[in-house]
Amino acid sequence: MGLLGLNSLLSPRLFAAESKGVVNPLHHPAKAKRVIFLYQAGGPSHLETFDFKPKLRSMDGQGMPDSFTKGQQIAQLQGKELKCFGPQYDFKTFGKSQQRICELFPHIGSVADDVCVIRSMMGEQINHDPAHTLMNTGSIITGRPSMGSWVLYGLGSEAEDLPGFVVLLSSGRGGQNQPIAARQWSAGLLPSKFQGVKFNSAGDPVLYIHNPPGMSAKLQHDSIGAINALNKIENAAVQDPEIATRVAQYEMAFKMQSSVPGLMDMSKEPQSMLDLYGAGHPGDGSFASNCLLARRLAEKGVRFIQLYHRDWDHHTGLKTNVALKAEEVDRATAALITDLKQRGMLDDTLIVWGGEFGRTPMSQSGDGRDHHIKGFSFLVAGGGVKRGISYGATDELGYAAEENPVAVADFHATMLHLLGIDHKRLAVKFQGLDARLTGIAGNVIRDILA
Amino acid sequence: MRWTLCCLLAAAPLIRAEVSFNRDIRPIMADTCFRCHGPDKNARMMGLRLDLRDEALKTTKSGVTPIVPGDPDRSAIVQRVFATDKKVMPPAAAHKELTAAQKATIRQWVAEGAKYEGHWAYQPVQRFAAPAGQNPIDYFIQARLAKEGLKASPEADGRTLLRRVTLDLTGLPPTPEEVAAFLKDGDYERVVDRLMASPRYAEMQALHWLDAVRYADTCGFHGDNVFPAWPYRDYVLRAFRDNMPFDRFTREQIAGDLLPNATADQKVASAYNRMNRTSAEGGLQPKEYLAKYAADRARTTSIVWLASTTGCAECHDHKFDPITSRDFYSMEAFFADIKESGLVPDRGSKAWGSLLELPTDAQRAKQQDLKSRVDAAKKALEEKAATMTAREQQWEKDVLAAYQAGKLNWKYQRPFAAKSQNGAKLTIYNDEPVDFTYYDGGTQLGERKPGNGVVIASGPNPDNETYTVSFKPGEGAWTALAVHIVQEDSLPGERLARGADRVIVTEVDAEMSGSNLKFVLANQSNNPDVSRDVPAMAAIDGDPKTGWGISGPGDNNDIMLALRFAEKLRTQKDSVITVRLHQDSDIRRATAGRFRIALSDAEYSWPSFEKRPKKDGDSSNTGLRESVVKALEAKERTDERKKALHAHFEWMTPELQPLVVEVAKLEADLAILEAAIPKSVVTEATEPREMRILARGNFLDESGPVVQPAVPAFLAKLDTGGRRATRLDLANWLVSEKNPLTARVYANRVWRQFFGIGIVKTLDDFGSQGEWPKHPELLDWLATEFMRDWDMKHLVRTIVMSAAYRQSSAVRPDLEERDPDNRLIARQSRYRVDAEEVRDIELSVAGLLVEKFGGPSVKPYQPDGYLATLNFPKREYAASRGDDLYRRGIYTLWQRTFLQPSMLNFDAPSREECTVNRVNSNTPLQALDLLNDLIYVETARYFAQNILKNAKNDASAIDWAFEKALSRKPLAEERKVLLGLYRESLAEFRKDPKAATELIHTGEAPVDPSLRAADLAAMTTVARAILNLHETITRN
Repeated sequence: MGLLGLNSLLSPRLFAAESKGVVNPLHHPAKAKRVIFLYQAGGPSHLETFDFKPKLRSMDGQGMPDSFTKGQQIAQLQGKELKCFGPQYDFKTFGKSQQRICELFPHIGSVADDVCVIRSMMGEQINHDPAHTLMNTGSIITGRPSMGSWVLYGLGSEAEDLPGFVVLLSSGRGGQNQPIAARQWSAGLLPSKFQGVKFNSAGDPVLYIHNPPGMSAKLQHDSIGAINALNKIENAAVQDPEIATRVAQYEMAFKMQSSVPGLMDMSKEPQSMLDLYGAGHPGDGSFASNCLLARRLAEKGVRFIQLYHRDWDHHTGLKTNVALKAEEVDRATAALITDLKQRGMLDDTLIVWGGEFGRTPMSQSGDGRDHHIKGFSFLVAGGGVKRGISYGATDELGYAAEENPVAVADFHATMLHLLGIDHKRLAVKFQGLDARLTGIAGNVIRDILA
Repeated sequence: MRWTLCCLLAAAPLIRAEVSFNRDIRPIMADTCFRCHGPDKNARMMGLRLDLRDEALKTTKSGVTPIVPGDPDRSAIVQRVFATDKKVMPPAAAHKELTAAQKATIRQWVAEGAKYEGHWAYQPVQRFAAPAGQNPIDYFIQARLAKEGLKASPEADGRTLLRRVTLDLTGLPPTPEEVAAFLKDGDYERVVDRLMASPRYAEMQALHWLDAVRYADTCGFHGDNVFPAWPYRDYVLRAFRDNMPFDRFTREQIAGDLLPNATADQKVASAYNRMNRTSAEGGLQPKEYLAKYAADRARTTSIVWLASTTGCAECHDHKFDPITSRDFYSMEAFFADIKESGLVPDRGSKAWGSLLELPTDAQRAKQQDLKSRVDAAKKALEEKAATMTAREQQWEKDVLAAYQAGKLNWKYQRPFAAKSQNGAKLTIYNDEPVDFTYYDGGTQLGERKPGNGVVIASGPNPDNETYTVSFKPGEGAWTALAVHIVQEDSLPGERLARGADRVIVTEVDAEMSGSNLKFVLANQSNNPDVSRDVPAMAAIDGDPKTGWGISGPGDNNDIMLALRFAEKLRTQKDSVITVRLHQDSDIRRATAGRFRIALSDAEYSWPSFEKRPKKDGDSSNTGLRESVVKALEAKERTDERKKALHAHFEWMTPELQPLVVEVAKLEADLAILEAAIPKSVVTEATEPREMRILARGNFLDESGPVVQPAVPAFLAKLDTGGRRATRLDLANWLVSEKNPLTARVYANRVWRQFFGIGIVKTLDDFGSQGEWPKHPELLDWLATEFMRDWDMKHLVRTIVMSAAYRQSSAVRPDLEERDPDNRLIARQSRYRVDAEEVRDIELSVAGLLVEKFGGPSVKPYQPDGYLATLNFPKREYAASRGDDLYRRGIYTLWQRTFLQPSMLNFDAPSREECTVNRVNSNTPLQALDLLNDLIYVETARYFAQNILKNAKNDASAIDWAFEKALSRKPLAEERKVLLGLYRESLAEFRKDPKAATELIHTGEAPVDPSLRAADLAAMTTVARAILNLHETITRN
């Protein structure tokens, strides 16, 4: 078989390494086939979402006991008096599982029996940028692949005409939107075909996906046909596999030009579906709209879908702002879980909800909370995770993860495990070492596996 | 199939020769043994160490003897690697199984006496003899090939060779004329000399160095704002152009500031130490960031000069190489004298720490002149003001009373007409309700309320605009007019402008009843230090390019410009005033999104707001600065408040007015001039801070021992006679003969530029985990040759003159299986060019490239919204204008967190970290980019224009284009494909002239009006196809 013949077999799964990833066969049977990571950037307060601390409320306004804070890292509260700041909202119990969740999140409460709440997450980096980098790449040294890239590298993509790792960003109405660098979805030291591709709600949904002005679809098609015909003539002479790949990439690009706009066009979604998500203006880039889009991407076989909500950095005005965030994310998060469940996809889709850190039990500026890395909450659901359970706990003031602490590497190890990957064996050589998502750390959290 | 073959190859040495520790054993052990039995004492298991022979021969406490030389059966390591039970080493949990061949190799090595060798890279560089009369590169390569039973490939054909060497040396393809000349005379050496003498050579070579030293234009963390780094890039460019010896190049970058009588150039070179990412995130812990910056420098310096991955030793002794934590922190200690803070401000007068101004002679002279004139004018003002102290005291009482009575407040006008010049839609909201959304730095506030005269721009968003507003103030006598730019959270440019990251009003004029109203003095509410280059006076200076506004991040509240009438303006009931806001800045879309016009009838209201917007959703103007109010009310007069108070008095006193105007004009001129003077971050030395070993890299742990500057102990000990070693000592050692690494490391990187892969593939790692050199004698020969005079051009010239470089890259069946990665170099390589070259080739072929050596970084087109997820400040991209849209890739503004998409798509690194080995991928995003990116569509239509102008007929047009892009004529078959595309396109565009017109007007380069739109559009599709070919962006 000549190179040209071979090429037609290679197409179209070219965002992934080959048609499969490097973990082939899987290290063990997978529970989840894909991940939807609802990243809440800025650092959501665990104390107003998933971690109820009545003791903190009773100590509201009192000094934070030294025994908690001595020698610990502090961000903007450096040199300030540390006072307890009680939870600003009540918590309710939801579902058969009796999960305690803040009253601002009744929709998430309504799917409480489908989720696992981890209340003992721990970070290492107390400022946003390095903390995002750690959460996404497992390292604070930049240049490491993001978790989506690792997963795509490991498993390949099932999407026929879409990238295997898609990133969607939304802003909030609170005005504290986090800067999110492209490094957060970079392929780092892996080839760039594993990078996340950002889909935009304004302008081109994928950069350069639209034909140039005046270029009809037919001429675009004919142009790509001519380019590929010429590349094939060249290849017949020099036999360079890179040319065969180039030909396939132009074909893929052309396919994306029709598939991406179709995917982004949600006008055919029934009104009931828009209502379920609370997507008043589908396609507007809101978190609700992006949750709906995430489901559409999941259906198409996209391996790793990461949504960012960028507006959780509540140094001041926490009470108002958390309520605003709840309005923006509560219904849509629950809708995604419900929708996937209805479609039978929750079983093999891992949903994660959480940010780069939590917030201090101490007040900042009287009505806010500072960054906090010693204990915070994550919510996980679907794909091989026990349902309706809680895991781990912080101390009575919500300061430090006390019971079953979960480091970022542990979370990563668990995520990979659910996907059928042994995190210790997904590695590439870099600067003499085996670079891994989990570095030399990481333990799978066995207790939350279904 | 290939797998089996690899095993056979790996087994081959067994039959052939004695086992070499360095070649055969160390790679196995480094991969499988040293993690637990190597240099890291904390990770060592059973007290057993295999990286040192003495240790490996000792019997451990538990009675195990790892190695008995000559007796494999009694050697524990042999027993354990061959074990089939749970005793097997490495243990199953490590997931590192040894192959049968590897096991056999270990056994043979022990049997042969277990001879250890020091790691190759740390051994002195040797100059292996090569016979005269042949380029030694070819001697070494051919000797190796002979051993393998292979032959080198013949020389590439002239066209290919010329294209290759031109691309490699200059980053641009040869012209058809150059091809013809070379094919005629075949004088390769002359070609090489010509190319290396060109400034383009420097533009190509500098790329690789800039990757290594992580040069970029933005600070990398958080707000990722632009910092003044480009003069350092220009220093690097000049160093390559002028062939600066590499030892001097090294010294100046690491320690230029420490050299005796350091020149401005040498100080700029020291910006190398400032290329680390920095953060201005509020709430960062300074110590943590100082630790990050220090570690970054130690990592980078170690990789760039030593190819040593010392980064691991930040937290623990290196697991595989003899680098300890002490070595790492001792390396950091060299840089402990750099003056810096953990939070590096990204705005205001202290922005970016140590800076050096680089004025031209003319700028320096003008600056001196203006400074002395400002001083003189101020002196005259103060002398006169000093005679009026009694009046000043009375004024204080009057002004406070006026302020408290609300008389100083600006009176917002209610326009009845507003129109724009270039298409923006202007809507007036007087009583009509408007949503106002404000951001006060912490919280967003919003309310719907009557607009109170606000004018809102929407719809078309041209680069420049002039807003014209008319209103009837009613009867009155007015002293000043104000332009209030209203903040709105949804505006992309600092919440003030419709684009960019700033707002600039270049000129304000006003008229009443057909006559112009004269303004004499301008003042502003915003901090002039934040936006030095856009002072208030520039809005009434008659210069259409200078203006008032904000030009730096951090001042995103409402701002106001106040313009004092030359004389009191009296209006009648029906008087109409018309105001024009010209916004003609070179920076695109620095245009106001919302504004109001106000008047004052008080004696000189100051343009000022209360600091925090009130809950009712609007900043209220007060007519007096907060500091002045405080000084007047509280009598707590700090020096600053006294100054503000006095300035206000001067400003509003009629007798002082001419002098105040004089000072304001001169200060504005000076500010604009000073803002235009290039600046560079530089290294400034200060008292070295204490450096400690941080256990596990934890900056909170201050229990570790203090370290002094030192190079890695296993390499050398600097002799400074007891004096604390400096960065200069480090630089001197790096380029001394005693250091076995620098020359090898650099030569290896240069090699990669000309063969696509290093002699050592791991360019950043010469340690035990790195690759063993494929041609060790050659690498050493190159290193010794380089070290003679540290002559960078000589090294490059020697390489490109070799037969090895000049050979054909054609695929050979005999090599396909033996040497698929072309490591033996029996042929040349074929690969896609780097990101910058992709751009350079496309633009140059099209005739659109603007070549200008050095200068500030430029901003090519970028899709709107690409920076939307950046914040602090909130910003929109504003592309450069004119020539700067078409510069070479190396001059593209390097935004670390959001690299220019076409750079990112073609694998350019973000330069957040040192990168010496770019990846080379092949993705659909590259296809979309070359097909649809505005610049490449414009490039195609511009190329088409040139094709049409140079062609006699359709077929000759295609031949001409092919030669231009690919340095060759098309095959008949190729010509047919393109002719087909042309004819089809022509038919389409003749049917749809509007489409043709749209296509040929893509981008901003001029369109030749003499060409027919359909012809040009059709040829554009042909040009675009050629520019998209794999061959166009491939060197082979």
